[in-house]
Amino acid sequence: MEAASIAHAATHGDHHGPPAANRSSRVEAQLLGMLLFIISEVMIFGAFFTAYFFIRIASGEPWPAPGTHLPEDVAGVNTAILMSSSFTLHWAQTSIKKGNRFGLKAGILTTFLLGCTFLFIQINEYANIGFAPQDHAQQTIFYSLTGLHGAHVFIGLVLLLIVTIRAFRGHYSPEEHRGVEIPGIYWHFVDIMWLVVYTTVYVL
Amino acid sequence: MLNPLRSEDEAFRFLLYAFVVIAVIVGLVLALRAIL
Repeated sequence: MEAASIAHAATHGDHHGPPAANRSSRVEAQLLGMLLFIISEVMIFGAFFTAYFFIRIASGEPWPAPGTHLPEDVAGVNTAILMSSSFTLHWAQTSIKKGNRFGLKAGILTTFLLGCTFLFIQINEYANIGFAPQDHAQQTIFYSLTGLHGAHVFIGLVLLLIVTIRAFRGHYSPEEHRGVEIPGIYWHFVDIMWLVVYTTVYVL
Repeated sequence: MLNPLRSEDEAFRFLLYAFVVIAVIVGLVLALRAIL
């Protein structure tokens, strides 16, 4: 918030002329950083989805390949877990906006634990799914796409761990909670990507 | 206009909308597969 007010004063206050260095954008620097990062990650997912659809459609082979089974039910439970984590994250965010520190701590801790549960289940599925990435192009793209998402979940968990630790140390306030908001945007992006991955790979 | 990259609140609402849209599309596809 301070950065935004400084930028605002520089552009609309008593300062005449070009804005200060690194303050020319109307978007806060931290938000802009996350925005550009998410856009670039969407492009990466787009590339992987392109490979997935090419392998699935161009090859003409049934999906999944005969003799393989994708655990739709377990992945469905995992989807519910990840969706729940977005709700708890939103609860944490709205709590700190109202000054409810207990809600922030409970919400962000629950979000982190749900995210860990998701990743643990995903890794467990890798161990028990019955095929390896090198077996077939289908298996390669399955591991690639879900693995790419898993890597994003891991990044999100690192961010959430930092937010959780800072929340329990009392770093956030109704006036300054950008550290909760920006990782929150990233986590919702991860959730949305999983919805697309789950429906295209497991369901359809 | 909803911008999911502008705030956490909008990102959460975008997630909910995306869930509903995806659920509808999946439902339609599965229903058509069952019929055809």
